[in-house]
Formats: sequence, structure tokens, C-alpha cells
Amino acid sequence: MAAKGRIVWVSGPAVRADGMSDAKMYETVTVGNSKLVGEVIRLTGEVAFIQVYESTSGLKPGEPVVGTGNPLSVLLGPGIIGQLYDGIQRPLKELSKASGSYIGRGITTTPVDMTKKYHFVPKVGNGDEVSAGSIIGTVQETDLIEHSIMIPPDHKGGKITNIVSEGDYDLETEVATTEKSGQSIPIKMYHKWPVRKPRPFLKRYDPTVPLLTGQRVIDTFFPIAKGGTGSIPGAFGTGKTVTLHQIAKWADSQVVVYIGCGERGNEMTEVLVEFPHLKDPRTGKPLMDRTVLVANTSNMPVAAREASIYTGVTIAEYYRDMGKDVVLVADSTSRWAESLREMSGRLEEMPAEEGYPSYLASRLAEFYERAGRVRASGSPDRDGSVTLVGAVSPSGGDFTEPVTTHTMRFIKTFWALDAKLAYSRHYPSINWMNSYSGYLADIAKWWGENISDDWLSLRSDAYGVLQREDTLKEIVRLLGPEALPDEEKLILEVARMVKIGLLQQNSFDDVDTYCSPEKQYKLLKLLVDFYKRGQQALKDGTALADIRAMSIVGSMLKARMDIKDDEMAKLDQLDIDMQEQFKSITGVKVRN
Amino acid sequence: MSAEGGVQYSKIAEIKGPLVIVDDVSNAAFDELVEIETNEGERRLGKVLEVGNGKAIVQVFEGTTGLSISGTKAKFVGKVMEMPVSKEVLGRVFDGLGRPKDGLPDPIADKFIDINGEPMNPEQREYPKDFIQTGVSVIDGMITLVRGQKLPIFSGSGMSHNLVAAQIARQASVIGTQDDFAVVFAAIGVQYSEAEYFRRSLEESGALKRSVLFLNTADDPAIERIITPRVALTVAEYLAFELGMHVLVILTDMTNYAEALREISAAREEVPGRKGYPGYLYTDLSTIYERAGKLNGRKGSVTQVPILSMPSDDITHPIPDLTGYITEGQVVLGRDLFRQGVYPPVNILMSLSRLMKDGIGEGSTRADHGEISNQVYDAYSRAQEVRALAGIVGKAGLTEIDLKYMDVGDVFEKEFLTQATDENRTIEETLTILWKIVSKLPKNEITKIKDKFIDQYYQGK
Amino acid sequence: MTSNSSLEQAIDKILEKTEEEIVSDLKNSKTTSIQFLDDSLPKLEQEYDQIISNGKKEADKIEKQITGSSDLEARNKQLNIVEESIGKVFTKALEQIANAERSGDYSNLIKSLLEESTKILGTTEVIVFTNSKDRETVQSALSQFSGAELSSETIECLGGVKVKSKDGAMTFDNTLDARIERLKPLIRKDIATQFGVSN
Repeated sequence: MAAKGRIVWVSGPAVRADGMSDAKMYETVTVGNSKLVGEVIRLTGEVAFIQVYESTSGLKPGEPVVGTGNPLSVLLGPGIIGQLYDGIQRPLKELSKASGSYIGRGITTTPVDMTKKYHFVPKVGNGDEVSAGSIIGTVQETDLIEHSIMIPPDHKGGKITNIVSEGDYDLETEVATTEKSGQSIPIKMYHKWPVRKPRPFLKRYDPTVPLLTGQRVIDTFFPIAKGGTGSIPGAFGTGKTVTLHQIAKWADSQVVVYIGCGERGNEMTEVLVEFPHLKDPRTGKPLMDRTVLVANTSNMPVAAREASIYTGVTIAEYYRDMGKDVVLVADSTSRWAESLREMSGRLEEMPAEEGYPSYLASRLAEFYERAGRVRASGSPDRDGSVTLVGAVSPSGGDFTEPVTTHTMRFIKTFWALDAKLAYSRHYPSINWMNSYSGYLADIAKWWGENISDDWLSLRSDAYGVLQREDTLKEIVRLLGPEALPDEEKLILEVARMVKIGLLQQNSFDDVDTYCSPEKQYKLLKLLVDFYKRGQQALKDGTALADIRAMSIVGSMLKARMDIKDDEMAKLDQLDIDMQEQFKSITGVKVRN
Repeated sequence: MSAEGGVQYSKIAEIKGPLVIVDDVSNAAFDELVEIETNEGERRLGKVLEVGNGKAIVQVFEGTTGLSISGTKAKFVGKVMEMPVSKEVLGRVFDGLGRPKDGLPDPIADKFIDINGEPMNPEQREYPKDFIQTGVSVIDGMITLVRGQKLPIFSGSGMSHNLVAAQIARQASVIGTQDDFAVVFAAIGVQYSEAEYFRRSLEESGALKRSVLFLNTADDPAIERIITPRVALTVAEYLAFELGMHVLVILTDMTNYAEALREISAAREEVPGRKGYPGYLYTDLSTIYERAGKLNGRKGSVTQVPILSMPSDDITHPIPDLTGYITEGQVVLGRDLFRQGVYPPVNILMSLSRLMKDGIGEGSTRADHGEISNQVYDAYSRAQEVRALAGIVGKAGLTEIDLKYMDVGDVFEKEFLTQATDENRTIEETLTILWKIVSKLPKNEITKIKDKFIDQYYQGK
Repeated sequence: MTSNSSLEQAIDKILEKTEEEIVSDLKNSKTTSIQFLDDSLPKLEQEYDQIISNGKKEADKIEKQITGSSDLEARNKQLNIVEESIGKVFTKALEQIANAERSGDYSNLIKSLLEESTKILGTTEVIVFTNSKDRETVQSALSQFSGAELSSETIECLGGVKVKSKDGAMTFDNTLDARIERLKPLIRKDIATQFGVSN
């Protein structure tokens, strides 16, 4: 029975109502005469503490609160891809039909168009045994997404009866029925799932396949695996959003869920404007055909910001269960943590560091634990993954603040953005000394099998140069570069080339914005070869100035922009040119 | 506004800081406007911060000085705070709560609008991309402002931020259009002389009749400052989205706003975040800054240039820090340049306009704009490194190329950055100086510009 | 004159030389001054232009300022005139209300004002204030509100009632004055439109 109570207290997004003894924890309720959406987050006797997902301005004690009997859930079915949702899965386009340019209150809509017909192709027949998660048919959701219709995860299983024949059906059509011990349950093309409950799966795998993002500093130096977790902290102006947009654009996953959590409105608009025109480099189809956006911008109600993360990750898990690789980008988890802090403050809970609640760490852990590469439940066998990438916005760029430090405990790839690099216009401003990846060893095998055996060792060589340069920089700062011997000056030179020719990447350049793994590998090899040949040349008595003056240096630095992904022969030619030029400055002495 | 009116309550439980706590309240809403009447019959305004269990916590904008437990009455007006708007607000001066301060009558309202505004639906936003020519080279050339952007000026005490903002307000125009333009200026706890400087500056340029001023000066009530930017933005939104004007909003000084917020938070005994500022400072600031923008199907735009002084010139202080996370870039003024007498003293390396890439180039400024500005960023950044090195090894220890970069730094600061406060440069003039800077370098140092532009504009040997 | 002639010759030579020098000097100075003039002419012109353009700028500025200010001044005068007229309309209306006959309609109005007030306060346990003129009308209407009492005090107002809960915690002002005051911002626009002022 649904709870019916009255508001007794209002303070911002927090409301207390009494007469709520029938309410359940995390049940959604409608609040006040204008029927705002809220969620029960604490129960004390008759009094329910409710966080309200819409502005509570004008709400009065005495107004009614009515329970819905259901936990906060998302609707999962075809029609999700390409949508822009708010934090509680209301499509913003539908909201604008009801309330115009601004977000109105108390509007109810369905997350997807329930009347749209999809072409359903059955994959099971009458009499087939199915269980939770089993695929019973497919529909083509977008050009890119074949959407599997699955038996809901909390279903007890049974025999299929009444499966419809191939044809066009809307979401409310009963496409099949299951029978078990005399009980028959209709199956539709959608089901609902509570956002705070991870969707079940059969088993978890180690992440061993890299998620290729086309960003060299990520894929080559600090890679993330499919089903892995990564975090990207940075002060404002360090290019966090641009980097996240790049991942959302170019990652080799089938589905991208992008959560704008407490961030700028125009950033979501930019994605909306840009993505339909960008083509997926692997399929040539518009990127919007694989993307779902969840936007709860900074000025939208703070409680819905808290929910948006769960809404997003539940949608990601749903597509994972179809056997797809899904990337979820959350910008920014700090704003999510702040919404926890704000609600916690209004609940008058005892605060831990910087006013954050003591359960901040466990909530972060729970969130990142929903990443993974898994074998989905039900038949047929299929593997999918959810990769989680969370931005962190540390106050003052200070990585010792609670959200950053707790996040670091639960993620394996850390891309540390650096304001100094950004000020000198080195983009992406991922600091190579402070960043790390825990997946290097796991995914080296993939590079070995698919690109080249020496990938890991080349990567270590290049990284070694950067590390050496970092220590030499101190000396240069004190004494000037002339104080160093030539071998060390060569390190400075090669480090400069690695930075400009490999680490830097111009996301606004048509060619440079995405870099294939082959091209990444060849650029890396060119640079390491240059270093080794340079060392040899110095040993053979060649002057450093001659090495620096070679025209190949300029060509190598510009190769990332000049040479397209389908022109790998040109990179091989560069290698030949380099050998020639070394030969000509060292005479015949050079060895290959 | 309803004709119903509200109930007046006279049981005051507590008065602390800017807050009045009223007892036995049976009919009040969250956020509701409250009229406080003192013993002497003086009226002040406030709003409900928290209501329930018979109590209402009311924040009094004009402060609680002189209020007493007995005799103070609180009337809950039955509506949230609203600003009366009409076209006739142009050319008017209001106080920090939106009441006339120029001796003229209340505006005859076309509408009464909730000053808190509503969040724009991101789906309904139009992505900002129209270049605004401010006539200030460093902004137009390197940190381009576009219509609907929010681009703050991060300054420090005593620096020339007001001159810069006033110059932008006087000169800002969009090339090739004759659209209606308006300026909304909100003084938030600044000195009277600073506010007066703005007023006079707008008057002298004849722009006063296209301007609306909201003045809360240093001697006005501090809590009023919570309201000042909101009434200003309410008027700006009306002018932009109902009347189709392009509105430039200048908010100065947002640091004073944040301090007023901190004062209320402290009085409510909330758990503080960093430096005593409330944990919701980010969210609160966003409800101001996010009111900039453009909307699909509407003609006008709201462009914001908030000014804030960084305490101790510290950019990691919570106020500039959280602002920078919300705004679309920042113009940072540098103490060193200011000391050297450079005007405007903009530190371009720390400055950024996120929307620049979409507002420049062929069709709006010039095709080479993006590349030339990138190259100058790069060159000036190198120049700074060389200057630092010269400080250690001396000029004699520099290479020929290094010396050229020193030259770039000097020309950049003396000819490009430096500008008179009444000097209004066209974008062509600005780009010409940028090419002059780059032409100090040999061609092979120019790595960020396409050859066709180099052939066209490069003047060096 | 041989002796002299050589001397004279010498003198002549010197003179000649001097003359030459002088001529050359003169020539030189002429060219330099011409050069100088040539040089300074554009400079002068530039300066002249500068002065003119500065003056023009200044004049533009002053013109802008003057037209801007006079536009504003005219507008502000208009605002004041409109306001005055609105004030007159209100004064007139108030007079009419004050002098209105306390008829059956009026007692119905008082009744509805009392109903509204007690509903908003949530109790009929109230003390009611009114002006001396309306006391009778109010007193007779009060019979329908159990617990409501008429105060012995009278208040200055055009008409209507002010209602206070008996514990003194709540007051609701429903005098005609208060109602007009609340309505004023809403109807000012209508009045202004009648004067032909549009927004």
C-alpha cells in the first residue's frame, strides 16, 4: 500500500514528511501539490526524509506526499540511444515540449517513445527454455545498435509460449510469454530496473583488451582496458572536458554513455550539436547513433545530480548484458560527491573530511565496482564490458582532497592533468610523471598479438627518456642546458620530440584528433629508433648540432598531423629517410 | 504577484546574524518573500531559507541591526521574490534589491519575474558562436568572447579590472549586425567610486540609455548582495529572450557575493567546505553563471563578464577556483604586468576562452585567426622561458633564437597588449599586430600556421 | 700693382672661396630646410590629422553623451508625468471608495473579507479591527464567525478589516487600503496603457 503523508519541513532539496510509516527506503514519492519527484533516503518513525529531484521553491508544510511503491528505476528498452536525459531519465526534449526553454517542474514523461514500432526478429521458439537474461529476439535500434530483447534479470525463467512472428511491434506489445509451474508471465520489449542495484551477470573476467581511444598519451602510455576503471582529475582549464569528449568520440566501444553531472549546460549542447555530424572511424556512422547523454547541469536540482550517476551506469550495464562494450564517462564525480555532501549536511549527519559524509569512499567504491568485463546471464553466451571513466574536479587543483584520494583507491588508470602543461598549451595536459596505468601488463599481450611484439619495450624506452629528462630538467633550471654533456642534451632533444610528436595531440585537427594503434606504434618506434641512432652517432663522434639540424626532425614532429591513418607507408618512408640522414652526417660509420 | 497578501506573524524566537527565526508559523513556503516590520515601522525584505514544524528561518537582506524579539513582525507575502520588468528599465538605476535608486517611480511592469530564474534546458540551448568585437586586442585576438558566453575577469585588489570591463562594455559590438545591444551592470559591494566610474563611462559613450544599473555599494547591506546578481540577471534575461536584445552583464565583485553567502552559512551553523565557504558554493555560483547563454528560436543572448578579486592573488582560492569550473574560460590579470604599468595587464598564459574555437575563423573573424593566435601563445610561452633563463645565465648565454623570442615577448607586451582605455581596435588591426609579432621569428620556428597563411601575411625575412 | 695684385688675388681667391662656401652653405641650408620642410610636412599633416581626429572623437563622444543624456532626460520626464497621472487616478479611486455608501453590497464585501481572513489564519478565534465608519457593518457580519470579536480600538483606513488571532501571533491585513496597495503594481500597467504609454 502506497504511503500517504504530509510535508512537515522544507529546506532546499530536503523535505521531511510525516504519516509515512508505509514508505520504503529508496522508494520514489511525489511531493507537494505540484507533484515533484522525490526519493526516500531515511525513515525515522513516521517521518520520512526525502530528497527532491526538482526545485522546491514555493513548497509548503501541509502539502501531500504520496508513495509510488517503486524504487527509483530506469526504463530499459529500444529508444534509449541518441537521447538526452536528465538525472532521473526524463528526456529533455520531451520536457521542453511541456515547459519550453526552461526546465519546468512536476512534468511526467516516458523515457522512450512507447508507441514507436521496431522490427522484432525472434531468436527463440515456442517451447524453448529461457532464464533471466536470455535473449528472445532483436530489434535494430539505430544503424549501429542491434538491440537484444532480454528476459528481465529478476525473472524466474520458464518455457517460451506465444512468441510473436517477425514483424513491427511497439514497446507495449507482449512479444512472448513464459510459462513455469502453471504461471504465465508476459514479456514486453522493455523492463524496468532499480538504479541503485547492479544488474546481475554470470561471471567476471580480467580486463585484458585495451580500450582504444585514439589518444596517444592514453593508448600508448597510460592505457585503460575494456571493463576497467580510470580517473581524470584536473584543475579547471586543464582540458578535462575536451579529453573526455575525445574518449566519448573515438573509443572503440559499441555504446557510449556520457554523464554531464553538475557541469556546464553548453558542454552538453556542444555534444548534441557535434556528435550527429561526427562519424565513427570504424563504421562511418554518426557517433550519436551509439551515444546516450545524461545531463544534470550544475544549475539543475542537486539531488538529481546524485541520481544521474546511477541512471547512467544502469543504462550502461543494460547494453553490456547484450554483449556490447560500453564506455561510461562521468563528468564530474566531484559534483556528484558534493551533492552527497549537501544532502548529508541537510540530514545533519556527522561529517568526515571537508564536510563530506563518511560513506563517500564506500559510495565511490560501489560505483567503480560496477565496471567490468563479464559473461552475461542467460543464453546465448556473450561477453560485454562496462568501462568507467570518471572526471574529478579537485578544489584548487589539489590532488590530496578527499574525492581524488578516495577515487585513487578504486581505479587502476590515473590520468593526472597538469595546469602548468595547460598554461604552456601542451594538450592533452596529462602529466606523464604523475599518471599511471595498472593495465600495462594485462594488455601487452593484445598489442603483441595485434600490432607488434616489441610494443611494451618501446614504450618503456620512450618512457625512460621522459623520466631521465625530468631529472635533468632540475640541472638545466639551475645551470642552463650548456652545462650538460652531449648524451644528456640528446635526451632533452628526444624528450622534446616525444612531447611534441607523440604526447601532444590536437583534438581540433582533422587528422590528429584520432590516431590508430598502428600509427601510434610507428610513431613510437620512429622516436625510439631516432634516440638509439642518435646515441650511436654521438659515440661515433658526430656533433649533436648535426643531429638536431637533420630535416627528419621536423618531419617526425609533424607526422602526427601530416600523415593520415591510411598512409602508413609514409611513416615507413620516414624511417628510411632517417637512416639515410644519419648515414650522411656520420659518413659510412653508422650501423643499422 | 497575488492580491491575496500574506499573514503577519509576531512571535520571533531568535535573531542571529542575518537570520530571524519566526515561531508558530502555519502558512509559509520555502523560498517565500518575507516583509519584516521593525518596532519603528521600518520595512525590510527577506526570504524563507527553511520552514517546518511551526518554525521559519528567514534571511533578512538588509540585515538584522535594530531588530528586537518583541515588536518585530514578519509578513509572509505569499510569493517568491520578483522583479518588475519592462523595456523602460533601460536607462534606470536600481538598488541591490531592484528598487529604484534614481528618484524615478517604480517601473510600470510588463511582467513580474521570479528572480531565481529557472535552469535552461540544455536541449534548448543554442551553442554560442558569434564573435563579439570588444576592441581590446588581447581579448579579441587571444581570448575571444562570444555571445552567450560567461567569461570572468580574475583580478586582484587594486588592479585595473574595472577599466577593462568598462572598456568592453563601451566598445563591445558584433561585426556586421545592427541588433539591439544592452548593458546590465551589477555592483556587488564595491566602492561607490567604482560604481560611479562605470556609470560615467557608460554615460560618456552614450550607452547609458541602453544600460540598466544595479548598485549595492560597500556601505549597503551585505546580505542584499545575494539578491543583486539575481535581479540583474532577471532583467538581462527579459531583455534578451523577450525583447531580443544582446545583453552584456557585468557583475562586480563576485568575491563579495561569496562572502555574503558565507555569512549566512555561518549563521546557520552549517558544516563548512574549504576556507569556511559553504559546501554548496559551487552549486550556488552555477545558478548565477549558468544564466548566460542563447536559446533556440530566440533572438537575444546573455553574455556575462563577472569580475572577481582573488584574495591574495591566489587562483586556487575557492571563489576563483569554483568559478573557473563553471565559466567558459577566464581572463586573468597579472600582478607583474600591472606593476610594470601595462594596461590591460592580462596574463594570457593563464587565460583562456573555451568558446573561442567556435567564434573565430573564416566567416566571423579571419581564416588565419586560430593558427596565428596559437602560434603567439606558443611564442610568448617560449619568451617567458627564455626570460627566466636569461635571469640565470645572462643575456650573453642566450642563443640567437632565444634573443628573437625575447624580442617577441617585448613586442607582445608593448604593442599588442598595451592599449589606451579609449582605443578601440578592429579585429583586422589586432590580427595585423599578431602577425607583426610572429614575423619577428624566422619561418622555421612557425610550426602552428599553415603555409598559405604564412605566404599571405608573414612580413619577416 | 704687382705686389698688390698678388695680395688682391689672394684676397679675391679667399673672397671667392668664401663666396663659394657661403653659396654652398646657403645651398646646403636651403636643401636641408627644404628637406626639413618636406619631412615635417607629412608629420605636420599627421599631427594636424591627429588633432582633428582627436577633436572629432571628443566631439563624437560629447555628441553621443549629449544625445544619450537628453534622450534619457526626456524619457525620465515622461515616466514622471505618467506616474503623476497614475497617482491622480488612485487618489480619485480612493476618494470614491471612502465616500461610497455602506449598502448591502458593502456588507457582503465585509463578509467575504472576513471569510478570506479567517481562512488564511486558519481560525475564527480572532479579534477584528476596522474604522469607526464600518464598525456597525462589521459587528453584524461577525455573528457568523464563532469566537470572533470586534476590537474596541478603531484603525485608520478606508474600509475593510484587519484580523488578528487571539494569541496575537498572527495578523492578516484585509483593509481596502492594503488590498489596493497589493493591487497597485498590477493595475499600474493598465492605467498607463490608458494614457497611451506602451511598453
